Amino acid sequence: MKEIKLRIKSVQSTMQITKAMELVASSKLRRAKDRIERTEPYFNIIHETLSTIAYGKRDFTSPYVEPREEIKKICYLMIAGDRGLAGGYNSNINKMLESHMKKHGKPVCVMPVGKKAVDYCQRRNLEILTEQYSIVEDVTIGNCFEAAHFLADEFRKGTYDELYIVYTNFVSMLTQNAAAMRILPIPYEKSEAKDDLKSLVLYEPSPEAVFNAVVPEYISGIFYGALSQSWASELAARRTAMDAASKNASDMIEDLSLKYNRARQGAITQEITEIVAGAEH
Amino acid sequence: MSVFHLTIVTADGKYFDGDAQRIIARTIDGDVCILANHTPYLTALGMGECRVTGSTGETRRAACIGGMLSVVDNEVNLVATTFEWAENIDVSRAERARKRAEALINQQHLDARDLELAQAKLKRALTRINVGK
Repeated sequence: MKEIKLRIKSVQSTMQITKAMELVASSKLRRAKDRIERTEPYFNIIHETLSTIAYGKRDFTSPYVEPREEIKKICYLMIAGDRGLAGGYNSNINKMLESHMKKHGKPVCVMPVGKKAVDYCQRRNLEILTEQYSIVEDVTIGNCFEAAHFLADEFRKGTYDELYIVYTNFVSMLTQNAAAMRILPIPYEKSEAKDDLKSLVLYEPSPEAVFNAVVPEYISGIFYGALSQSWASELAARRTAMDAASKNASDMIEDLSLKYNRARQGAITQEITEIVAGAEH
Repeated sequence: MSVFHLTIVTADGKYFDGDAQRIIARTIDGDVCILANHTPYLTALGMGECRVTGSTGETRRAACIGGMLSVVDNEVNLVATTFEWAENIDVSRAERARKRAEALINQQHLDARDLELAQAKLKRALTRINVGK
């Protein structure tokens, strides 16, 4: 009986923790969703403009658009969480990166964002570019610009030949998808609408200059957008996981208290039987 | 005066979304002024003052740093790294940033990258101070 009582106590305290984590995650999630909404127009406009120029760029060359002939090294910008207890959030990102690396089979270097990402890279002995951004929650838009300039410089220097970002897409409160997206060289889609446009646009001072000035901006825009998405995903995943954990805990408590009451009742019945038996003699 | 639709966004959100008569911005190549029915156009922005004249003719000033300006179909998009309306600029904070940057630059043992960063900081602070005053 004492054992059951102890067990109920321990489950109760676990439940308190999971409940608290769930509440913290939901309140942070609200802010994270606001952030996604705020950044979305910026993200969309910059992406659209860049892919339009990249597509219409046939009359100039830029190191940021030309695919390189030989891909010697791939760089990954990996965004994971700072903490565990978020269901499959971190392991999904790890799996995504793993399968991507396997598919391409090239040497890689990683710029991990988030403690779990750093841990993962150290465990796997991957080359780490910088650990400056190891705490997701603290990365500001200014940090994104810094990182983007750094990444663009390294790309031009030829430290790596392709840049991918591995992050988690926030689809809804219940669904988050890990995704890998190519940032450099800049991908572009063909479309009829853009065909008419490309010949007309006037670039000042020149397409190259505009392009090269805007690319770091573009990278940091994508970085910040992906960061917002990942952050919201992490919180949503944690909320769902903690919600399930709290439910399991309350089920367990119910089960255990039933057992406890039965045992108690059993003990009382036994005592009464013993007393009655004693009185009869 | 005819108007065009102007959107000003940064990663922090939208700063302007509506009709405007005119916008003047500092590009990497000097100041430009965009009026309605401009030809399709794209340029990268430098650091400097940006003036927006709204549909009723009133002009607002802002400090605009980095980003790009595009014109397509009488739609103007200004995508900035940072954008602050003059009335929202904290001049004393910018002054402090200027002093810090100047102190950094005056140190002898800076490497090229740090010097560049400090100079960029100084320029940003100066832009803010000029617009904020």
